[in-house]
Amino acid sequence: MQAENFTEQDSLKLINEMISKAKKSHIEKGIASILWGGLIFFCSMYTWVETQFNFNGGDPWILTLVALAIQIFFAAKDGKKRNYKSYEADVLGSVWIAFGICMFVLIIYSNKHPSNGEITSLFMMLYALPTFVTGKVTKFKPMVYGGIFCWLFSLISIFTPFKIDSLLMAACGLAAWLIPGIILWNQYKKTPKAANV
Amino acid sequence: MFKELDPILHSQLRLAVVSLLISVKEAEFGFLKEKTNATAGNLSVQISKLKEAGYVEVSKQFKDNYPLTICKITQVGVQAFEDYVNALQSYMHR
Repeated sequence: MQAENFTEQDSLKLINEMISKAKKSHIEKGIASILWGGLIFFCSMYTWVETQFNFNGGDPWILTLVALAIQIFFAAKDGKKRNYKSYEADVLGSVWIAFGICMFVLIIYSNKHPSNGEITSLFMMLYALPTFVTGKVTKFKPMVYGGIFCWLFSLISIFTPFKIDSLLMAACGLAAWLIPGIILWNQYKKTPKAANV
Repeated sequence: MFKELDPILHSQLRLAVVSLLISVKEAEFGFLKEKTNATAGNLSVQISKLKEAGYVEVSKQFKDNYPLTICKITQVGVQAFEDYVNALQSYMHR
Protein backbone atom coordinates (compact mmCIF):
# COMPACT_ATOMS: atom_id res chain seq x y z
CA MET A 1 0.00 0.00 0.00
CA GLN A 2 1.56 3.29 -1.08
CA ALA A 3 0.87 6.88 -0.15
CA GLU A 4 -0.43 8.55 -3.28
CA ASN A 5 -3.27 10.80 -4.36
CA PHE A 6 -6.52 8.97 -4.48
CA THR A 7 -10.12 9.91 -5.10
CA GLU A 8 -12.98 10.30 -2.60
CA GLN A 9 -14.46 7.02 -3.87
CA ASP A 10 -11.14 5.29 -3.25
CA SER A 11 -11.12 6.69 0.29
CA LEU A 12 -14.58 5.36 1.10
CA LYS A 13 -13.74 2.00 -0.46
CA LEU A 14 -10.57 1.79 1.60
CA ILE A 15 -12.38 2.73 4.84
CA ASN A 16 -15.00 0.03 4.21
CA GLU A 17 -12.37 -2.53 3.32
CA MET A 18 -10.32 -1.87 6.46
CA ILE A 19 -13.33 -1.84 8.81
CA SER A 20 -14.47 -5.11 7.26
CA LYS A 21 -10.97 -6.62 7.61
CA ALA A 22 -10.85 -5.60 11.27
CA LYS A 23 -14.26 -7.16 11.92
CA LYS A 24 -13.27 -10.43 10.27
CA SER A 25 -9.97 -10.62 12.15
CA HIS A 26 -11.16 -13.15 14.63
CA ILE A 27 -13.31 -16.15 13.83
CA GLU A 28 -14.81 -17.72 16.94
CA LYS A 29 -14.08 -21.44 17.01
CA GLY A 30 -16.76 -22.33 19.55
CA ILE A 31 -14.43 -24.56 21.62
CA ALA A 32 -15.52 -23.05 24.95
CA SER A 33 -19.19 -23.37 23.97
CA ILE A 34 -18.76 -27.03 23.03
CA LEU A 35 -16.80 -27.73 26.21
CA TRP A 36 -19.31 -26.14 28.59
CA GLY A 37 -22.40 -27.23 26.66
CA GLY A 38 -21.15 -30.81 26.57
CA LEU A 39 -20.24 -30.72 30.25
CA ILE A 40 -23.58 -29.26 31.41
CA PHE A 41 -25.40 -31.81 29.24
CA PHE A 42 -23.35 -34.73 30.59
CA CYS A 43 -23.55 -33.68 34.27
CA SER A 44 -27.30 -32.99 34.09
CA MET A 45 -28.01 -36.32 32.40
CA TYR A 46 -25.81 -38.08 34.96
CA THR A 47 -27.74 -36.38 37.78
CA TRP A 48 -31.00 -37.44 36.11
CA VAL A 49 -29.81 -41.08 35.86
CA GLU A 50 -28.79 -40.96 39.56
CA THR A 51 -32.24 -39.69 40.53
CA GLN A 52 -34.13 -41.97 38.16
CA PHE A 53 -32.35 -45.18 39.19
CA ASN A 54 -31.79 -44.10 42.76
CA PHE A 55 -28.04 -44.54 43.06
CA ASN A 56 -25.21 -42.30 44.18
CA GLY A 57 -22.35 -42.34 41.72
CA GLY A 58 -20.54 -39.30 43.07
CA ASP A 59 -20.81 -35.64 42.12
CA PRO A 60 -20.26 -35.18 38.37
CA TRP A 61 -20.31 -31.39 38.74
CA ILE A 62 -16.76 -31.54 40.09
CA LEU A 63 -15.80 -31.84 36.41
CA THR A 64 -16.57 -28.12 36.03
CA LEU A 65 -13.21 -27.45 37.73
CA VAL A 66 -11.45 -29.48 35.02
CA ALA A 67 -13.39 -27.60 32.34
CA LEU A 68 -12.44 -24.31 33.96
CA ALA A 69 -8.75 -25.26 33.83
CA ILE A 70 -9.07 -26.28 30.16
CA GLN A 71 -10.81 -23.02 29.32
CA ILE A 72 -8.20 -20.89 31.09
CA PHE A 73 -5.50 -22.75 29.11
CA PHE A 74 -7.21 -22.12 25.76
CA ALA A 75 -8.04 -18.49 26.63
CA ALA A 76 -4.40 -17.81 27.55
CA LYS A 77 -3.21 -19.47 24.32
CA ASP A 78 -5.70 -17.48 22.25
CA GLY A 79 -4.80 -14.24 24.06
CA LYS A 80 -1.11 -14.71 23.26
CA LYS A 81 -1.86 -15.20 19.56
CA ARG A 82 -4.25 -12.27 19.24
CA ASN A 83 -2.55 -9.06 18.17
CA TYR A 84 -5.39 -6.65 18.81
CA LYS A 85 -8.14 -5.96 21.33
CA SER A 86 -11.68 -5.39 20.20
CA TYR A 87 -14.40 -3.46 22.04
CA GLU A 88 -16.70 -6.44 21.56
CA ALA A 89 -14.32 -8.92 23.24
CA ASP A 90 -13.79 -6.46 26.08
CA VAL A 91 -17.51 -6.10 26.80
CA LEU A 92 -18.20 -9.83 26.46
CA GLY A 93 -15.22 -10.67 28.65
CA SER A 94 -16.72 -8.52 31.42
CA VAL A 95 -20.15 -10.10 30.98
CA TRP A 96 -18.70 -13.65 31.28
CA ILE A 97 -16.56 -12.70 34.29
CA ALA A 98 -19.68 -11.29 35.98
CA PHE A 99 -21.50 -14.53 35.09
CA GLY A 100 -18.66 -16.58 36.58
CA ILE A 101 -18.81 -14.59 39.83
CA CYS A 102 -22.60 -14.99 40.05
CA MET A 103 -22.25 -18.74 39.44
CA PHE A 104 -19.61 -18.99 42.16
CA VAL A 105 -21.84 -17.18 44.68
CA LEU A 106 -24.85 -19.30 43.70
CA ILE A 107 -22.86 -22.55 44.08
CA ILE A 108 -21.70 -21.47 47.57
CA TYR A 109 -25.30 -20.57 48.43
CA SER A 110 -26.68 -23.89 47.17
CA ASN A 111 -24.09 -25.81 49.22
CA LYS A 112 -24.86 -23.78 52.34
CA HIS A 113 -28.63 -24.12 51.91
CA PRO A 114 -29.26 -27.53 50.28
CA SER A 115 -32.65 -27.74 48.62
CA ASN A 116 -34.59 -30.25 46.55
CA GLY A 117 -33.41 -28.68 43.33
CA GLU A 118 -35.39 -25.44 43.57
CA ILE A 119 -32.20 -23.54 42.90
CA THR A 120 -31.83 -25.24 39.48
CA SER A 121 -34.26 -22.67 38.08
CA LEU A 122 -31.90 -19.88 39.15
CA PHE A 123 -28.92 -21.60 37.49
CA MET A 124 -30.83 -21.87 34.22
CA MET A 125 -31.95 -18.25 34.49
CA LEU A 126 -28.32 -17.26 34.97
CA TYR A 127 -27.13 -19.35 32.00
CA ALA A 128 -29.47 -17.37 29.78
CA LEU A 129 -28.03 -13.95 30.54
CA PRO A 130 -24.47 -14.09 29.12
CA THR A 131 -25.62 -16.39 26.33
CA PHE A 132 -28.31 -13.96 25.20
CA VAL A 133 -26.00 -10.94 25.46
CA THR A 134 -23.20 -12.74 23.55
CA GLY A 135 -25.65 -13.72 20.82
CA LYS A 136 -26.96 -10.16 20.54
CA VAL A 137 -23.54 -8.47 20.55
CA THR A 138 -22.00 -10.90 18.06
CA LYS A 139 -25.24 -11.08 16.01
CA PHE A 140 -25.17 -14.86 16.35
CA LYS A 141 -28.79 -15.98 16.41
CA PRO A 142 -28.30 -19.56 17.73
CA MET A 143 -27.00 -18.08 21.00
CA VAL A 144 -29.84 -15.56 21.21
CA TYR A 145 -32.30 -18.45 20.85
CA GLY A 146 -30.20 -20.51 23.29
CA GLY A 147 -30.55 -17.76 25.90
CA ILE A 148 -34.30 -17.53 25.32
CA PHE A 149 -34.61 -21.33 25.65
CA CYS A 150 -32.76 -21.17 29.00
CA TRP A 151 -35.22 -18.58 30.32
CA LEU A 152 -38.10 -20.69 29.07
CA PHE A 153 -36.72 -23.88 30.66
CA SER A 154 -36.03 -21.94 33.86
CA LEU A 155 -39.65 -20.84 33.95
CA ILE A 156 -40.93 -24.38 33.32
CA SER A 157 -38.61 -25.81 36.00
CA ILE A 158 -40.34 -23.71 38.68
CA PHE A 159 -43.33 -26.05 38.29
CA THR A 160 -41.56 -29.37 37.74
CA PRO A 161 -39.87 -31.87 40.13
CA PHE A 162 -36.08 -32.04 40.43
CA LYS A 163 -35.84 -35.11 38.16
CA ILE A 164 -37.37 -33.15 35.28
CA ASP A 165 -35.27 -30.09 36.19
CA SER A 166 -32.16 -32.15 35.44
CA LEU A 167 -33.48 -32.92 31.98
CA LEU A 168 -34.32 -29.24 31.47
CA MET A 169 -30.80 -28.32 32.60
CA ALA A 170 -29.38 -30.79 30.05
CA ALA A 171 -31.57 -29.15 27.41
CA CYS A 172 -30.12 -25.75 28.45
CA GLY A 173 -26.59 -27.09 27.90
CA LEU A 174 -27.60 -28.26 24.44
CA ALA A 175 -29.54 -25.17 23.39
CA ALA A 176 -27.34 -22.46 24.85
CA TRP A 177 -23.84 -23.79 24.22
CA LEU A 178 -23.39 -27.21 22.64
CA ILE A 179 -25.46 -26.65 19.49
CA PRO A 180 -24.27 -23.01 18.96
CA GLY A 181 -20.70 -24.20 19.62
CA ILE A 182 -20.95 -26.91 16.97
CA ILE A 183 -22.39 -24.37 14.51
CA LEU A 184 -19.46 -22.02 15.27
CA TRP A 185 -16.95 -24.83 14.83
CA ASN A 186 -18.44 -25.78 11.45
CA GLN A 187 -18.36 -22.12 10.36
CA TYR A 188 -14.73 -21.88 11.46
CA LYS A 189 -13.82 -25.01 9.51
CA LYS A 190 -15.43 -23.60 6.37
CA THR A 191 -13.56 -20.27 6.67
CA PRO A 192 -10.52 -19.88 4.39
CA LYS A 193 -7.24 -20.47 6.28
CA ALA A 194 -6.05 -16.87 5.79
CA ALA A 195 -8.91 -15.50 7.89
CA ASN A 196 -8.26 -17.89 10.78
CA VAL A 197 -5.59 -15.77 12.38
CA MET B 1 -18.63 25.21 -0.35
CA PHE B 2 -16.92 21.86 0.25
CA LYS B 3 -14.95 21.01 3.32
CA GLU B 4 -11.27 20.51 2.70
CA LEU B 5 -10.08 16.95 3.19
CA ASP B 6 -7.69 16.52 6.11
CA PRO B 7 -4.25 16.03 4.47
CA ILE B 8 -3.11 13.83 7.35
CA LEU B 9 -5.92 11.35 6.67
CA HIS B 10 -6.09 11.78 2.90
CA SER B 11 -3.21 9.40 2.40
CA GLN B 12 -3.85 5.77 1.60
CA LEU B 13 -1.81 4.10 4.32
CA ARG B 14 -2.62 6.58 7.09
CA LEU B 15 -6.32 6.33 6.28
CA ALA B 16 -6.08 2.52 6.32
CA VAL B 17 -4.40 2.60 9.73
CA VAL B 18 -6.97 4.99 11.21
CA SER B 19 -9.85 2.95 9.71
CA LEU B 20 -8.48 -0.17 11.38
CA LEU B 21 -7.89 1.57 14.69
CA ILE B 22 -11.40 3.04 14.72
CA SER B 23 -12.75 -0.54 14.58
CA VAL B 24 -10.72 -1.96 17.47
CA LYS B 25 -9.81 -0.88 20.98
CA GLU B 26 -6.07 -1.17 20.32
CA ALA B 27 -3.84 -3.00 17.89
CA GLU B 28 -0.28 -4.25 17.74
CA PHE B 29 2.03 -3.05 14.99
CA GLY B 30 1.94 -6.58 13.51
CA PHE B 31 -1.85 -6.45 13.15
CA LEU B 32 -1.67 -3.15 11.25
CA LYS B 33 1.13 -4.45 9.04
CA GLU B 34 -0.76 -7.65 8.26
CA LYS B 35 -4.03 -5.89 7.39
CA THR B 36 -2.52 -3.06 5.34
CA ASN B 37 0.15 -5.17 3.60
CA ALA B 38 2.55 -2.27 4.11
CA THR B 39 6.26 -2.57 4.74
CA ALA B 40 7.38 -2.16 8.35
CA GLY B 41 9.41 0.96 7.50
CA ASN B 42 6.62 2.74 5.64
CA LEU B 43 4.06 1.82 8.27
CA SER B 44 6.33 3.06 11.02
CA VAL B 45 6.78 6.44 9.28
CA GLN B 46 3.02 6.87 8.74
CA ILE B 47 2.21 5.92 12.33
CA SER B 48 4.74 8.52 13.50
CA LYS B 49 2.94 11.17 11.41
CA LEU B 50 -0.40 10.16 12.91
CA LYS B 51 1.15 10.31 16.36
CA GLU B 52 2.58 13.80 15.71
CA ALA B 53 -0.89 14.95 14.66
CA GLY B 54 -2.27 13.56 17.92
CA TYR B 55 -4.50 11.07 16.10
CA VAL B 56 -2.98 7.93 17.58
CA GLU B 57 -1.32 6.98 20.82
CA VAL B 58 1.67 4.68 20.61
CA SER B 59 2.96 2.67 23.53
CA LYS B 60 5.86 0.25 23.77
CA GLN B 61 5.61 -2.97 25.75
CA PHE B 62 7.25 -6.37 25.89
CA LYS B 63 5.62 -9.68 24.95
CA ASP B 64 7.64 -12.87 25.51
CA ASN B 65 10.80 -10.74 25.77
CA TYR B 66 10.14 -9.12 22.36
CA PRO B 67 9.39 -5.41 22.02
CA LEU B 68 5.83 -4.69 21.09
CA THR B 69 4.32 -1.50 19.67
CA ILE B 70 0.67 -0.91 20.50
CA CYS B 71 -1.41 1.72 18.72
CA LYS B 72 -4.67 3.22 19.83
CA ILE B 73 -6.78 5.95 18.26
CA THR B 74 -7.23 9.09 20.37
CA GLN B 75 -10.36 11.19 20.81
CA VAL B 76 -8.78 13.79 18.48
CA GLY B 77 -8.25 10.99 15.94
CA VAL B 78 -11.86 9.84 16.22
CA GLN B 79 -13.10 13.40 15.66
CA ALA B 80 -10.73 13.88 12.70
CA PHE B 81 -11.94 10.60 11.17
CA GLU B 82 -15.59 11.61 11.58
CA ASP B 83 -14.90 15.03 10.03
CA TYR B 84 -13.04 13.33 7.18
CA VAL B 85 -15.93 10.95 6.46
CA ASN B 86 -18.43 13.87 6.60
CA ALA B 87 -16.26 15.82 4.18
CA LEU B 88 -16.08 12.81 1.86
CA GLN B 89 -19.85 12.48 1.94
CA SER B 90 -20.30 16.15 1.01
CA TYR B 91 -18.03 15.53 -2.01
CA MET B 92 -19.99 12.45 -3.00
CA HIS B 93 -23.34 14.32 -2.88
CA ARG B 94 -22.27 17.30 -4.96
